[in-house]
Amino acid sequence: MSVLRAQGLGKIYSTKGNVVYKALENIDLEVEAGEFVGVMGPSGSGKTTLLNLLATIDRPTSGAIEINGVNPTKLSDNKLALFRRRELGFVFQDFNLLDTLSIKENIILPLVMEGMAPKLIEQRLGPIAEMLQIAAILDKRTYEVSGGQKQRAAIARAIIHKPSLVLADELTGNLDSKAAKDVMDALKEMNEKFKATVLMVTHDPFSASYCQRIVFIKDGKFFSEIRRGSNRQAFFQQILDALSVLGGNFDDVPFARA
Amino acid sequence: MTFRSLALSNVRGNWRSYSAFFLSSVFSVLIFYLYASFLNHPDVVNGHILSAAKVRDGMQFCLYIIMVFSFLFILYSNSAFLKTRKQEFGLFSLFGMTKSQLRKLVIYENIVIAIMAIAVGIGLGILFSKLFFMALAALLGMSDSIAFAVPLKAVWLTAGGFFALFLLISFWTVLRMGRTEIIDLLKASRQPKGKLIFSRWLVIIGALSLAMGYGMALMMDSYNFVILALPILITVVVGTYFLFTQLSIVILKFIQKRHGLYYKRTNMLIFAQLGYKIRDNARILFVVSILSAVIMTALGTVYIMHVQGKQDLVKSSPFSFAYVEKGLYTHNVINPDDLQRIVKEGGFSYDYEAKIVGIGLEKYSITFDGDTSTQLGNGHDETNEYQRNAMIISASDYNKLAKEQGKPQLAVESGKLTLLYRNFDKTQFGSGKAAGYVNGEKIELPVSGSIDTSVTNNWIDANSLTLVMDDLTYINTLSGISEDEQLVFYGYELKNWEKAAPIVEKLVKLVPDDMKYEVDFTRPQRYSELNETVSLTLFIGLFISLLFFIAAGSMIYFKLFTEIQEDQAQFKGLSRIGMTKKEVRRVVVSQIAIIFFIPCIVGISHALFAMRSLDNMMNTSNWIYSFVVIGIYVGMQTIYFLLASNSYMKSMLRGSAA
Repeated sequence: MSVLRAQGLGKIYSTKGNVVYKALENIDLEVEAGEFVGVMGPSGSGKTTLLNLLATIDRPTSGAIEINGVNPTKLSDNKLALFRRRELGFVFQDFNLLDTLSIKENIILPLVMEGMAPKLIEQRLGPIAEMLQIAAILDKRTYEVSGGQKQRAAIARAIIHKPSLVLADELTGNLDSKAAKDVMDALKEMNEKFKATVLMVTHDPFSASYCQRIVFIKDGKFFSEIRRGSNRQAFFQQILDALSVLGGNFDDVPFARA
Repeated sequence: MTFRSLALSNVRGNWRSYSAFFLSSVFSVLIFYLYASFLNHPDVVNGHILSAAKVRDGMQFCLYIIMVFSFLFILYSNSAFLKTRKQEFGLFSLFGMTKSQLRKLVIYENIVIAIMAIAVGIGLGILFSKLFFMALAALLGMSDSIAFAVPLKAVWLTAGGFFALFLLISFWTVLRMGRTEIIDLLKASRQPKGKLIFSRWLVIIGALSLAMGYGMALMMDSYNFVILALPILITVVVGTYFLFTQLSIVILKFIQKRHGLYYKRTNMLIFAQLGYKIRDNARILFVVSILSAVIMTALGTVYIMHVQGKQDLVKSSPFSFAYVEKGLYTHNVINPDDLQRIVKEGGFSYDYEAKIVGIGLEKYSITFDGDTSTQLGNGHDETNEYQRNAMIISASDYNKLAKEQGKPQLAVESGKLTLLYRNFDKTQFGSGKAAGYVNGEKIELPVSGSIDTSVTNNWIDANSLTLVMDDLTYINTLSGISEDEQLVFYGYELKNWEKAAPIVEKLVKLVPDDMKYEVDFTRPQRYSELNETVSLTLFIGLFISLLFFIAAGSMIYFKLFTEIQEDQAQFKGLSRIGMTKKEVRRVVVSQIAIIFFIPCIVGISHALFAMRSLDNMMNTSNWIYSFVVIGIYVGMQTIYFLLASNSYMKSMLRGSAA
């Protein structure tokens, strides 16, 4: 069963002076339930545009998206917000946690907004916090915990409401390599144990090596696709090879692992 | 780019947060100028406007209040403003701006704001001064209007005073900027906060102070006012301070533990944000609460005084016009036909009239059995030149008047007198004896007691005290007095008596000099005097209250806008993960509502207790009038809230859409 189906997706930015810029052109993408898919490409290749379209924060100029059988482009603003909140989970590079809330409150926010009973909320939170090893810091504030812990909290928030699709945007971009490994391990575990479907945008080959399948795009167009075998080490090498074929500028990889 | 243009563009760039502060400053300047221009108006200075003396002291006092208040307000706003801009200053320092240059920049900015506020304030003041004079002339009951004038002294006083004030404060704040590391300046707005910590002791002190203050306010009456007033003020202020800095945290913690309430949709965001900001907001909320309490109490007091004064007038003079004639058919004091003619010419008509025949009890003296210290009248000492006379009326006459005036009926013991005695502290007398001369003969009559009403005007010599006698004894006594010696009380109650002051003078002229103590025509006049005093006080006080009100609101407004960037970032993130616009609105508007109305509620509570003790002191109950004042205040606060939340929401959405 496919969770996400995008066909002929395109996005054209045009300014008043009739300068037209094609950010994305004719992208087809299908993600099956329980899959862990990566999207890679050099800077300016349209990764973020693609993610924004899939995240329903932006509307495509052509093509169609279907998430869990629903076409979000046809929904009103209000319904779209509710759709995002119920069907999608987000993990951002800048964590996007609220300073005003504790870690626990940040995680359960999607459930609270849905009006779930406090008891059920606790029941949901327990195993996830345990698995992500953040049970000890639940009552802490965002500024009291490390970047890796913040990102794991963000992952918990992204999956606690059992969304159809988790979208991750450069989630290791702000982390050192140890924290990045922890976070990727955590995301993989979520994918395997909770059957969360994950679509991750990244330009970091190490993070990408956790995926089952990677889609490469260049200049807004589909470039190639590789699938992982059993060995992650080999897959990592495969990714590096693919990137060298792809070319382009990967300078925006954080210096921690550049 | 010169240094000055940098300062100018800073002001322009920060305009949104400057605007509320600027408007309040303009308003202080405006009001200060209005008062100063009246006080320095050539006609007032030369003494051409006699009635100006009535308001001069009050206005002078207001000028001081405005100055002191403006000082505190500008000081607060300035330091709060600099705090929000720490990051900006950090950036300037990073680029190599020296400390003294930074100070110069701040002073330049302040001078720009000061000059603009003063210019606009005085400009508006000159524009509105004629209107202000017109209103004042009307309230002072002047026949000519006050000419338009721009007294240079007032202009210089206002401009000079406020400029000095601004300059003084900016130097002060600049000096206090002190030494801070650039890194701290840059991080200023990202410093950790949001931990809800309170001290158990301070909570207890706060709760106790409030309880004590309120308790004392309930106990306060006219006797212990002097002792209790200051302790009440101190305990309530201290209690309010801890209410916001400590008790509020206890309450928020309590709410956060109640998961049923806290984990209910947007509640979590609302209360978490309140808790996050409580430390910054507590002091503002405290100041605004106290200001609200002061405004409501002051306005309420003036208003209640007015209502109370009117009630007292009607109680002490039940008839608009009243007089007593000696002799059943004589008209030595005034001819009722003349009176009626003048009333008619003045455009008035009688609501009801009364003619009561009474027995004069001359040189009276009343003593009471249980209380030897009290004695009414001077009759016991016949050498005293000033002797007072009382009048005895029949029980049926009393009951007839009482019914007319909506007062309780009275049953009189046979052969005994009942004293009609209105007293400030509602003292009631027990049984006693009344002595005096009736028809030239000295007699003594038993008194059964007193009641706290009067049905006739007692500002009349022949009727300085009224006694009620049972009908039978009354008729028997009256029959022994010749018609020429019988007293007659004439009373006329007008419709619209409140406006009857002009005809009083005409009536008084008709009364012969030796009879002028036998009339009481002054109620309409006393009322219009009361009215004038109250409306002048209200008029002058209103501007000050308005100033307080606007300043209080602008402090909240200002506080809101210093946090807007943080909020924008937050709500941008929230809407990315699927919060609807409606929910964002609910979170933001509820927070603003709480910040606007909590001080209002606390202020109302303080004001109610204050008015309750006022009631105690005046022996009255004026809840309705208190609620009128509070209602108006709440209405105005609501308008302010709607404006503020609308403008906040707009700039919030504009910011987070980008």
